[in-house]
Amino acid sequence: MATNIDLSVDFCGLLFKNPFLLSSSPVSNSAEMVERAFQAGWSGVVFKTLNSDRLPITHPSPRMHYVGYGSQRAMAYQNVEQISDRPLRHNLLEFLYLKKHYPDYPIVASIMGFFEDEWVYLAKACEDNGADMLELNFSCPHMCIEGSGHKVGQAFHLLERFTAAVKQAVSIPVMAKMTPNITDMTEPALYAKKGGADAISAINTVRGISEIGREDWVPRPNVFGVGAISGTSGPAVKPIGLNFIASMARCRELGLPLSGMGGIETWVDALEYLLVGATTLQVTSGIMHYGYRIVEDLIEGLSDYMALKGIGRVPELIGRALPHLQETEHFDLGRQGIVQYKLDQCIGCGQCHIVCSDAAGQAIEWDPRKRRPRLIEDKCLSCMLCQAVCPVPGLITYKEMPAGWRRRETAVKDKSLEPELKHESFKKEGPHECAA
Amino acid sequence: MNPATHFRQMRKGLDLPQAIAEADRCLLCHDAPCSRGCPADTRPAEFIRKLRFRNITGAIRTIKENNILGGACGELCPTHRLCEKACSARFASRARPEGADRPIPIGQIQRFLVEHSWQIGFKPLRKSAVRSEHLAVVGSGPAGLSCAAELAKSGYPVTIFESRPEPGGVLRYGVVSYRFSLDFLRNELKDVEDLGVGFKCNHPVEGLAGAENLLKQGFQAVFLAPGLWAAEALVPKSQPISGVYSSVGYLSALRDGRLREMADRITGRTVAVIGGGSVAMDCVESAARLGARDVYLVYRRSYAQMPAEPDERVEAQSAGVHFLLLNQPVDYVAGRGRRLKGLKLVRTRLAAPDGSGRRRPQPVRGSEWILDCDVVIEAIGNRPAPDSPNWYPRVKLSGNNLIRVNPLTGRTSVRGIFAGGDIVRGPALVVQAVADGKTAARAIRQYWHG
Repeated sequence: MATNIDLSVDFCGLLFKNPFLLSSSPVSNSAEMVERAFQAGWSGVVFKTLNSDRLPITHPSPRMHYVGYGSQRAMAYQNVEQISDRPLRHNLLEFLYLKKHYPDYPIVASIMGFFEDEWVYLAKACEDNGADMLELNFSCPHMCIEGSGHKVGQAFHLLERFTAAVKQAVSIPVMAKMTPNITDMTEPALYAKKGGADAISAINTVRGISEIGREDWVPRPNVFGVGAISGTSGPAVKPIGLNFIASMARCRELGLPLSGMGGIETWVDALEYLLVGATTLQVTSGIMHYGYRIVEDLIEGLSDYMALKGIGRVPELIGRALPHLQETEHFDLGRQGIVQYKLDQCIGCGQCHIVCSDAAGQAIEWDPRKRRPRLIEDKCLSCMLCQAVCPVPGLITYKEMPAGWRRRETAVKDKSLEPELKHESFKKEGPHECAA
Repeated sequence: MNPATHFRQMRKGLDLPQAIAEADRCLLCHDAPCSRGCPADTRPAEFIRKLRFRNITGAIRTIKENNILGGACGELCPTHRLCEKACSARFASRARPEGADRPIPIGQIQRFLVEHSWQIGFKPLRKSAVRSEHLAVVGSGPAGLSCAAELAKSGYPVTIFESRPEPGGVLRYGVVSYRFSLDFLRNELKDVEDLGVGFKCNHPVEGLAGAENLLKQGFQAVFLAPGLWAAEALVPKSQPISGVYSSVGYLSALRDGRLREMADRITGRTVAVIGGGSVAMDCVESAARLGARDVYLVYRRSYAQMPAEPDERVEAQSAGVHFLLLNQPVDYVAGRGRRLKGLKLVRTRLAAPDGSGRRRPQPVRGSEWILDCDVVIEAIGNRPAPDSPNWYPRVKLSGNNLIRVNPLTGRTSVRGIFAGGDIVRGPALVVQAVADGKTAARAIRQYWHG
């Protein structure tokens, strides 16, 4: 592993040895677990969400399920997990233990209250027992009481009020955790900022249904005949997480450091979150699937990548994709291209012909004798679907065509029907922003 | 494990997750090459696609509608030179790191789907309205079963005449249990019975014109598929020698209740098997599994010239069989009471190619030697029962008493009599017999309805 690479990040004044944290979840439930995670290489923890013992917490049984894809076991996980079911005293004792033995590993305490006084009570208790930072859980998707979990995340004035109350009560930094079950995350994030939040973390799980039993018709997990719309996580939600982190990172008015999560398993996923603007990265599903050990590959993979790129420090990566991220109207539509084939590597499966015929420009003919595709260049839409299905990596690539090159128009099946056509051009003026 | 259990247990097939994982590797080719490689017109591209899209019942239907013995063929076919030969995933796997030259295991997926149908009790085949024309089938091996099922599906009454006590032909009396178990066979036969096919076992149609007379006994057509149940003999023996078996006799004994008796003759003894084909491989491997002290495979040509499939050869060698290549049997050595003592061999060398295109083995003068052995099994080819021409005296035969048919229809020289399987082709694959049964069924329907 490259040794001259500094993976450390400063997040709200706290120093993390690397950007990789356990997120608030079953993987951060106890000091015994977190200790092993630190030993494996995780730089910090967002401890499983604490509550004030006012309401008993009982986890449904069973509490998790997964979404498979083909023979792949889990492209997503489904959980109906609740916040910590441990007494507050026990959780705080765990903080003391971790701070005593791992003083250089920041502890972020995740808390969730149901009204202001409860939020404040929890925040103080955490600060008093060594928490370095707070994460306000405005996003647990399983809370059905108004004013809790994702319901707060969707009620912006509450979010602001609770954040402000906590901020006034403690001196450690405060981060607000956002629900993705919303169209635009910058809006609640701005409310959190108004309340005084120092950072935003996202995303919590996406509300979803993983699977429905074919025999019993009960959504999974099947809790004795009942299923629930609940939290989906894992690789499948990464595009959603990247969207929200990127959107908040681009929002000048927000301007808060971000902690990104949602489907991070490999250093490549981690890199993508950094590139769209996250400073710290949190992981649960990847650990649920593979254990704490994946941090070795996150650290080693990212370090080697940075060394090869000549990048010495993580902040040099943060947000670097943002200048390339634009609305679609900024595309240069004057430049067009087609695919090109290295047919000497072709194995003759013909999948390109199928997808081009049924989902693209009918630009790939099939030579049944040679079992090879034949491209009709001026029909190619350059959609790249053929590349997506081709089993030979590198066989199909994109090629830009010279200026002035024209694609053939899609043929009309039967022009003799023209006399029967009822059609007039649309003549009214309208907005032009999206016009090419 | 009890040796007998070990002997009877077929290798485990794929399970559902494994089959799905393999289906996931399939490239779902356009104009799929696998679906052009099956003698019986199986369409693997279709049933694998169905499995891939979790249409498991549909996948089973695709297999069983086409081939009533889909399970048997899945397990017994030399798929590496049929459907799997042109599998694009083989080539894709060269370009990818997941294992070079690994085709989709089509045969094993097919076997899985058929076994799965038995497990979940799914019966994909439906009979149509009952018709009046009645078919007689002679022989309940793969060709007979295939023809019978094909016509029974369309509602025609079918009766199969089987001379042996149990149905299945070569699938029962010619395959070893660890390759193809009786339980598996029973399940597959049940699929035929469920179509309403009648079986008359212990019911030879031998005797003068026995087969032809069926046409006068209320059957509107006859399909001859009696198979090849007589053995080629190496040395013409005026007096039988105790300890010498034909492969037909030996393999039958392993399946018809004489397994223990045969095991007693082989365990701890030295066995020599003569021949280089698939049947010879079954003989040597089974002898090794039955606990023979030494098993020799005696073949007069070279390793590369063996007709046995490559994986069968490797399996035999792994079982500890000694391959005695370039050695040609000349005679038996018998001791007191005509009991076998040894096999006299002469070494050969390969000379110029013969009619088959293979280099001809030529005995090396003066190189005779004697291999001491207690049992010899001759696996050098099967042929029609010597009296079989009498069962159908008007049917034209080719050399070797095989039946001559139009290969496009299975028609013999006698109106209303059709034939297929090994009695037409000589020793051939199960899947080819299945194809013959289907071909004849089509022609028979046409014969009846024009």
